[in-house]
Amino acid sequence: MTPALFRIALYGSLAICLLGLLWRVSTWFHLRVGPDACNVTVFQRLITAVRGAVSVTFSRGLVHVLRAFFVDVVFQNRLFAREKLRWLGHQLILTGFTGLVLVHALASVLAGKLSPGYQPTLDPYMFLRNLAGVMVFVGIAMVFAGRRRQQTGFPQSRRPIDAIFVALLGTILVSGFLLEAHKIASPRAFYRMTDQFIGTTDPEELKPLRALWASEFGVAFDDMGDGIEPAVIAEGRELHGDACASCHAKPTSAFISYTAAKVLAPLSGALDEARADTWLLYLHLFACFIGLALLPFSRFFHAVADPVSLLVNGAAREREFSSAGRASRRALALDACVHCGLCDSSCSVGPLARHLGNPALLPSHKIVATGAHARRRLLSHGIGPDALLVSEGAFQCTDCGRCTTRCPVGLDLADLWEAGRGDLAIAGLPAPSQWVQARSAFAWAESLDSRSTPDAPSAPLASDRRTFSHCVQCQTCTNVCPVVAHSIDTEHGVDLTPQKVMNLLRLGMLDLTLGSRMVWDCATCYQCQENCPEGVRVTDVMCELRGLAYHRLGSVRNPGGPS
Amino acid sequence: MTHTRQDTFDVAVIGAGMAGMAAALFAAERGLSCIQIGNGGGILFASGLLDLMSIHPLAERRKWGFPFDALAALALEQPQHPLARIDATSVRTAFNAFVAALGKAGLPYAPLGKANSDVLTSIGTIKPTYGVPRSMIAGVKALAQRPPCLFVDFHGLREFSARQIVSTLGDSWPAARFQRLQFPGTEAVPELYAAHLARALENVETRARTIDLVKPLLGDAQAIGFPALLGLEHSVEVHAAFEAGLGLPVFEIPTMPTSVPGLRLLMALEAAVATRGVSRRHHSTVDSIVFDDETATIGLIDSPGGERVVARTVVLATGRFMGRGLVADRGHVSESIIGLPVHQPTSRNEWHQRDFLDPTGHAINRAGLLIDDSWRPLDAAGNPAWPHLFAVGSILAHQDWMRSKCGSGLAIATAWAAVRQITRQLYGDCDKAGEP
Repeated sequence: MTPALFRIALYGSLAICLLGLLWRVSTWFHLRVGPDACNVTVFQRLITAVRGAVSVTFSRGLVHVLRAFFVDVVFQNRLFAREKLRWLGHQLILTGFTGLVLVHALASVLAGKLSPGYQPTLDPYMFLRNLAGVMVFVGIAMVFAGRRRQQTGFPQSRRPIDAIFVALLGTILVSGFLLEAHKIASPRAFYRMTDQFIGTTDPEELKPLRALWASEFGVAFDDMGDGIEPAVIAEGRELHGDACASCHAKPTSAFISYTAAKVLAPLSGALDEARADTWLLYLHLFACFIGLALLPFSRFFHAVADPVSLLVNGAAREREFSSAGRASRRALALDACVHCGLCDSSCSVGPLARHLGNPALLPSHKIVATGAHARRRLLSHGIGPDALLVSEGAFQCTDCGRCTTRCPVGLDLADLWEAGRGDLAIAGLPAPSQWVQARSAFAWAESLDSRSTPDAPSAPLASDRRTFSHCVQCQTCTNVCPVVAHSIDTEHGVDLTPQKVMNLLRLGMLDLTLGSRMVWDCATCYQCQENCPEGVRVTDVMCELRGLAYHRLGSVRNPGGPS
Repeated sequence: MTHTRQDTFDVAVIGAGMAGMAAALFAAERGLSCIQIGNGGGILFASGLLDLMSIHPLAERRKWGFPFDALAALALEQPQHPLARIDATSVRTAFNAFVAALGKAGLPYAPLGKANSDVLTSIGTIKPTYGVPRSMIAGVKALAQRPPCLFVDFHGLREFSARQIVSTLGDSWPAARFQRLQFPGTEAVPELYAAHLARALENVETRARTIDLVKPLLGDAQAIGFPALLGLEHSVEVHAAFEAGLGLPVFEIPTMPTSVPGLRLLMALEAAVATRGVSRRHHSTVDSIVFDDETATIGLIDSPGGERVVARTVVLATGRFMGRGLVADRGHVSESIIGLPVHQPTSRNEWHQRDFLDPTGHAINRAGLLIDDSWRPLDAAGNPAWPHLFAVGSILAHQDWMRSKCGSGLAIATAWAAVRQITRQLYGDCDKAGEP
């Protein structure tokens, strides 16, 4: 590769990477998630961040930031506490990759300067390079294996660019090993070196050196013949000591590449003919450059966003964020999410997601939808079926907080969900309890009169008269209902008491109950059902009515939507 | 998954109405290990007044001022009546123990004497009863003396009308007057429920505001009657605060069932059995009972994971039709759990009298289980169905507790007698606790 082309490719990809980083970081200050984020300007958010960073740097908070750096960022304590296998995989990738970048990719600026005798073909560099490569490989395998183990029943949220990035990473590793293997076995590379450092390429003249390199350095000459005498090798060793040893250790320490070289030995002549060294190098370098350019746009940007997020957590600790700080933190969370799926496997409504066949209930899918909405991509064509699924997912969340507790990068997901629901409500997708209560139960019943919804779920309890046959209208359900007790007026309080809902059902007037505030304000505390002297499943009926109303009233509100 | 308890209980009480609660309470007090199965919701229909016996014989509608005299007459004239099987001392002991337990659980009753007391009902009629909650006792005195008295009710509380009470009393209590008040903070609520107001009055501030509303209306009143909603869990404290704040005797008048006194009674009984170590399965229903020589194995449904309970004796306190201890189809009444024979009219034609309001009641209301002298229900041949199966309360035949006004008496006294029998059977003549 010509130096000019190399430089253009390097600086080009570096520039794209830096601009990409800048753009991604800028979104932390201008993406708006949550209604309260609209009240703060980009400038306020920037100032808040800078002020926060400065005040932490010059206070005792710095101790916490440093602690967060070592415990959370370097050691990955949160992941360690949750998933040992994935933690190990992640640490292998991180260590291996950092090693490769520092010792190998940046050799000319780092290792070359720090250690005057540095040669990539000397130990320990050769060994370390192989070791680091293997670590990255094994790490990726372990992370993937960890992912396979936690099935949520849905494919994980993934973008094509992430697959491309993983493919690039694989290409870099494989091409690197192949290139090294090929160079070990290549006679052509051997003669290029003798030409440069001994001044000859004559096979006869180099016979002792060739004998040594064939037997101990893995070069695959095709004209060596059998039976090399030890004396010849001894002669070669002398020549080697003078001309080669200062730059070349035995390649056996490159344990992967050397093994590969042995496998490739029969092909080395053909590979030499095909100039494999050149195109493998091109492949390796271009994969590196493309990877560098793509980094800010892929999921692997989390390598930047995560440490920032963890350090911000360390700095903030228990402190409350200002609305400007919260806004930036949410936008940062969108980037810091690794999409590892640990949240999904602990999600309280995960079983419900499977039951409904709607992955939008799961946290890792919700965070993608939240990002899409913040980037104005979710509702770009109005409220479509996808948006309704996202809204269903957002409002089925019980705010149990398990995703937040479980997140290995410490994202405040609960805050993100609340903010996202606020945004959806503003965009015309409020919680079912809100849109249902925008009309009275009577108005809903009238609008249902002319509609049939054949695809609505069945209501086995509400439609079975045996459910109510024991009801004596004794009012116990109403007496114990905390929602009725806290009803302060007819405008906002309950319209029908639980007992009246049951009575309407007894009379077959189910439609009239669907939009009732009692059904939608029910706290599902089960007091009514627990206390019913006749064992009527009052709360279970309320839940069933809600499910039915969500579909039937939803088909009135959003004709054509999924119901 | 079926989970089998390894513990064998001395007693399994099936039913958590008044009789089941009394049986569990007495069993625990005698030191028997006890498990109780069933929903206590039936008690919500109670008024809080503990009737012993006030009308006998039904045909004459004769009211008795002294319930033990009524019981003595009953014993002579209707020896098959369950209460005729128990001596007066035992009935008195049972009542005292029951009321003492309620008092300890935060629901004190007036001391039990020899006589019935007259209590005002929510429609202004007068009802004789034996056990009177302490919060109602000032009303008994007022009713006897009829001094100037103020009756209070609240806007939106449809289950209680002070105006109707005063109107029904009419000339018989000329110094009675009424006032309708706006309960604090409910100005915009069209319909109120006594249980919610009772809970609201446990809040000190709401209580003080309510007292302040009543104060200017006292006039010459020497007693004040409220619907029974002066507190729920802390009714003693709320009642005392009203008397202190108003400086006059304050009494509660029972409201229509389901009422606050019923809720208090349920809560007090639940607390009483719980503190005495009774195991409870109040969401479970009994699916089956298998008896063997020594024990009974009770299969539960609606219990998490299913469960089997093993006990050395079983007390059937499942009630009559409302409690579903008895179930009726078009022509026949049967016992719901074990299928015991039910004493009943031979044909449906004889279930009811021609006149619905016939004072002697209907034969169907005297249907139930026949028992031997040890409270063991009989099989078709007239022998005890099982040596370790007992029956108490309203499921027993030959009684019409609603018309005789003996519901609580029947429940408490039969439970006490059956538990005494069980203790003798399991541990000899002495109580397990060592009492004679």
